[in-house]
Amino acid sequence: MIKFLLLLLAVAAIGTAIYVVGRLIYDIVAMFRNRAATSEGDKAVLWRDVKAIGIAAQIVALAAIVGVGNFLWGNFRDRTDAIGLELGFDFLDQPGGITIADNPLIAGDSVGKAIVEGFFNTIRIIMVGIPAALILGTLIGIARFSSNWIVRKLATGYVEFFRNIPPLVVIVFVWSAVFLNAFPTSQEAWKPLGEWFILSNNRFAIPSLMGQDNFGPFRWILLGALILAAAVAFWRTKVFDNTGAPHHRVLWGLGTFFGIGLIAYLVLGGPVSMSKPMLDDRGRVFSDGFRIQMPFAAITVALIIYTATHISEIVRGSIMAVHKGQEEAANALALSTFQRYRFVVLPQAMRVAFPPLISQFLNFSKNSSLAIAIGAAETTNIINNLFGQSQPAPQLILILALLYLTLSLVLSAIGNLINRRLQIVGR
Amino acid sequence: MAERAATYLGDDITAALAVDSTPPSSKLSPGDWAKTNLFSSAANTIVTAIVAVAAGLLAFFALRWIINADFAIIRANLRIFMIGQFPREELWRPWASGYVMILGAGLTAGAMARNSHELALSQELESVKEGWGQLLRRFWPIIAASIFFVSFARTVMPYIGLAAAYVLVVVAREVGWRLPAAIRERALFIGVALFIVAMLVIAGTSRLGGYALGLVAFLWALSELSRVESLPTGFAGTAVRFVVALVVAAIVAIVQNLIPHDGFGWEDWGGLHISLFTTVIGITLGMPFGILLALGRKSNLPVLKTASVIFIEFIRGVPLISLLLFSNLMLPLFLPIDFERPADLTLAIIVVTGFSAAYIAEIVRGGLQAVPKGQTEAAQASGMSAAAVQRFIVLPQALRAVIPAMVGQFIALFKDTSLLSIIGLLEFLRVSDTSNAQQEFVGKGLASVTYLFVAIGYWAFAYTMSKESRRLEAKLGVGHR
Repeated sequence: MIKFLLLLLAVAAIGTAIYVVGRLIYDIVAMFRNRAATSEGDKAVLWRDVKAIGIAAQIVALAAIVGVGNFLWGNFRDRTDAIGLELGFDFLDQPGGITIADNPLIAGDSVGKAIVEGFFNTIRIIMVGIPAALILGTLIGIARFSSNWIVRKLATGYVEFFRNIPPLVVIVFVWSAVFLNAFPTSQEAWKPLGEWFILSNNRFAIPSLMGQDNFGPFRWILLGALILAAAVAFWRTKVFDNTGAPHHRVLWGLGTFFGIGLIAYLVLGGPVSMSKPMLDDRGRVFSDGFRIQMPFAAITVALIIYTATHISEIVRGSIMAVHKGQEEAANALALSTFQRYRFVVLPQAMRVAFPPLISQFLNFSKNSSLAIAIGAAETTNIINNLFGQSQPAPQLILILALLYLTLSLVLSAIGNLINRRLQIVGR
Repeated sequence: MAERAATYLGDDITAALAVDSTPPSSKLSPGDWAKTNLFSSAANTIVTAIVAVAAGLLAFFALRWIINADFAIIRANLRIFMIGQFPREELWRPWASGYVMILGAGLTAGAMARNSHELALSQELESVKEGWGQLLRRFWPIIAASIFFVSFARTVMPYIGLAAAYVLVVVAREVGWRLPAAIRERALFIGVALFIVAMLVIAGTSRLGGYALGLVAFLWALSELSRVESLPTGFAGTAVRFVVALVVAAIVAIVQNLIPHDGFGWEDWGGLHISLFTTVIGITLGMPFGILLALGRKSNLPVLKTASVIFIEFIRGVPLISLLLFSNLMLPLFLPIDFERPADLTLAIIVVTGFSAAYIAEIVRGGLQAVPKGQTEAAQASGMSAAAVQRFIVLPQALRAVIPAMVGQFIALFKDTSLLSIIGLLEFLRVSDTSNAQQEFVGKGLASVTYLFVAIGYWAFAYTMSKESRRLEAKLGVGHR
């Protein structure tokens, strides 16, 4: 995956260079053709021709970029040669010596695999954190319009406090003051429901599902059921649009999914079973179940707290941008507060809010790199550990930047796609 | 109300207008206030009760924790929190530098407030001098935080120093307000020059300081010469202006270099001081680059456009932490091989400047888009050159529109300086970790105390700035176009 991205980057760089140089040559040719076609009286002298000045400026700029780049690259090669640094990417296949707690990665696995595992952890943080921050931020944004004074003031206080301190401070505070100090140690883990819920300052564990015989086909059947459920929900929406009959699309969809799932489960003879967290003799969780390392929980919670304040400000602004008549009309129809927000205000507000929300989602994904400060094993942290293993820094920094660039591009592409669906389609 | 409604229903409009139309007083009795704001319905009463109990519990535990917490760690490390490992015998430097900076800020603020006051009066708008009460409301978080910080001091000196600072700011603002108009017009140069002098006081004189002062002198001389009307117009006049300004700059730089170079340098600065310093430098140096990048991105020359877009999007697409790792591990590799490795802070400032330039470029681009196209076309129609159109018509309008967003970027960068701790610079947040590693405090679980202290410090500055940003937005009417 990393090598593929590197290849993509190389292709993009070469493509850009060809485009720029080609475009420049094309412009020069076009300019001289144009000048040749213009009669002598209308023609400006060459050094007063706007096109010529532009082309000259670009040639100077290109020469400066190439010159400075060449100078820096020369220095770079001198220095890397002096300290004997290899500039290839073969080190990605060497054993990395990195292990991550609660992750099947072993010390003998390659550097590339360790980085990819770290990247998956980054994605996990983002996939939990962004929806949660969106929900919390929207609720707080609405709470600032509450008719209840105390709710309003508390929401304002929360936003104005957390918005104005650095996310890194929120993260280290949540980690070392709350998670590390206020939670019990792993020997005295908090187990209110026995093995069903185990919380300590080291791990959080709940039971999970584990695949048995026939798990492979079962997985594919579930995927099919999901697609079918989506199709059923879509059909119900169509029926509703055409006839106005109640659609109940969520019920229909869930019914389809769980119906097929139940039949498949019975037919395949129990392809999944419950896996409870296992405790060692000192009462510590060590295997099975669904386990989360506490640093991951801390970074996710801290970033949710921080990002929700920014999201709430965006939501608040967008609600204020919804025409007041809409709210009054909803009140006149005797809609409840929930109905008013759910069906009238929020759909219109979200249309305004979504573009700035995308940039908050991007900020969230970039801020997840701050997990380096509390030792959650995500991309930045893994790469920082690899520096310590005397792996080559220049390539690793390039890979680090490349991974986050990819993430940013993909996230903003998804965001723009959703945004296009949210906007009103003009006739 | 009833009689007003009755009048409206009648035909006599003059009678309706004659009725006193002041809105009913919004003052409610405490009982009525509570009824409308807390207990307006059954559901609301329940919510009030639950939230009040939760908030009360939270406040109780927080208060109990604060009362029981051991603040000795902050008392012992207050100096490091503020300015890092500054040698004790050189402590006069930060104080003196702070006073020079406060003097500059007070003079500039007073003079500029007077300038806009006079401008408003000349346009027959209403304007009154801002009272101290208003200033107190605008800057209360910083004032409260400074008193909070000083309250941890173990000697009486910081108390006297802070009181003197407040006296100085009051006096400087009054003096700035009363300066003659000719000096007030140059207030910005005075402020910048005093800022650099303050830096020279704390870091000691150096060649870099000479260059910085020379640059200010150059710009100042240029702006002075542009007022001289007897100079010839056209190329000759421009050349004369540049040569004279360069001579002035050279004289200033040489005079500064005649003072023996001594002092502490900036390699080992720390504490809140470098957080603020890095932010100010990052924004100031990032501004010209950012404006150039924004113009490059708007230009229709493909080389400039592509280069600007790649730089901006690359910087904005990666986290600052990866750029700081780059500054620490890779940037020195790009220097010629016989160069010494610069200080970590220097490397970090280079990267922070590039980082803020990319973000400022996007802000300025927004401002450029907000300038109506007719402005450019009118300027071109009156025969201005491309550079003059940008310099005199587009940029002044664009930059005015983005001032609040720029303050927002200042806040964001100030918060981002906390990341310098990760590459090992002893900035505000990292002092918290180092002080918890000291022998007398290690293992006592005092991290939450120091983190809270640090959070309050960051909050005071960022909150004041965000209030200022909102005030500027309302004042400039940016959001209402």
